[in-house]
Amino acid sequence: AGALAAPQNLSVHSTNLKHLLRWSPVVVPGGTVSYSVEYQGEYESLYASHIWIPSSRCSPAVGPECDVTDDITANVQYNLRVRATLGSQTSAWSTLEHPFHRNSTILTPPGLDVTKDGFHLVIELEDLGPQFEFLVFYWRRESGAKEQVKTVRRGGIPVHLETMEPGAPYCVKAQTFAKAIGRHSAFSQADCVEVQGEALPLAL
Amino acid sequence: GQEFRFGPCQVKGVMLRELQEAFWAVKDTVQAQDNITSVRLLQQEVLQNVSDAESCYLIYAMLKFYLNTVFKNYHNRTVEFRIMKSSSSLANNFIVIMSQLQPSQEDEMLSISESAHRRFLLFRGAFRQLDIEAALIKAFGELDILLAWMEKFYQ
Repeated sequence: AGALAAPQNLSVHSTNLKHLLRWSPVVVPGGTVSYSVEYQGEYESLYASHIWIPSSRCSPAVGPECDVTDDITANVQYNLRVRATLGSQTSAWSTLEHPFHRNSTILTPPGLDVTKDGFHLVIELEDLGPQFEFLVFYWRRESGAKEQVKTVRRGGIPVHLETMEPGAPYCVKAQTFAKAIGRHSAFSQADCVEVQGEALPLAL
Repeated sequence: GQEFRFGPCQVKGVMLRELQEAFWAVKDTVQAQDNITSVRLLQQEVLQNVSDAESCYLIYAMLKFYLNTVFKNYHNRTVEFRIMKSSSSLANNFIVIMSQLQPSQEDEMLSISESAHRRFLLFRGAFRQLDIEAALIKAFGELDILLAWMEKFYQ
């Protein structure tokens, strides 16, 4: 049998600082091919280019995909490479054509759940892990109302924003802040809720 | 977001927590290899009472030494995967810090930069007193001391 083919079409798909390395599978009829993934950061390529470090999660990997999030831990360029193994046969390494920098990750607007608990305006944001904070903007939808801003350190937990008064809806929108790379996502859709009842009389 | 401020030198895009986690993951393994417990490279005279103005010069010299000497040679000596991974994370974040440090070269800063240089020479002198193997292990093992000092400038 000829030499085992090297994996092709390497690419990194990165969203919200989760980085997935993907490649085209090497197909051998009747055989089960596994893969090894290695990386080197800018330090290695500058000071010790012979050094490649096995990926934390994918040495070996069974499918044509590897989560390299735990390997990319600095704001530098990373080289990534993959090779296939079938029994005693090992392919040549295939290296990602362009080095990957986590600054290129796609930041999506956060999932935002806006609810009312009695007269209380309560939100819950998507939990994206410790790498993220959230900027939350909220306002009472009436003329002249001022927009309030609140930083929320973690998602996945209810956050009380305001005690509402009847008579006008309260609206909320949010964006993520990726601390490691200092970038914001776009805003989520604004979501509004309103409490029923008589507007409280102004204190005389 | 958070950043380092070594006096006038500002550094963004480095999560100190990532550095600390990288070192803590291998701290016990690395420090267990250090048999010379009577010697400390990062003595108090090196890191104590460093003024803000001095700090940029000192951190520049320290990180340059760690990148050029400690990690480079330590990389060659370790095949233990966890240490390679931690060493890589630290080294690559040190590169990010170094790339943003621009210590002033102006004349009026000469005495301050010389004071920082004397502190660095104390560290390097102690390093050179040891056999290279022992010195590398000790310097790598003392990264918690360096990171703790750097934390004072993280805000």
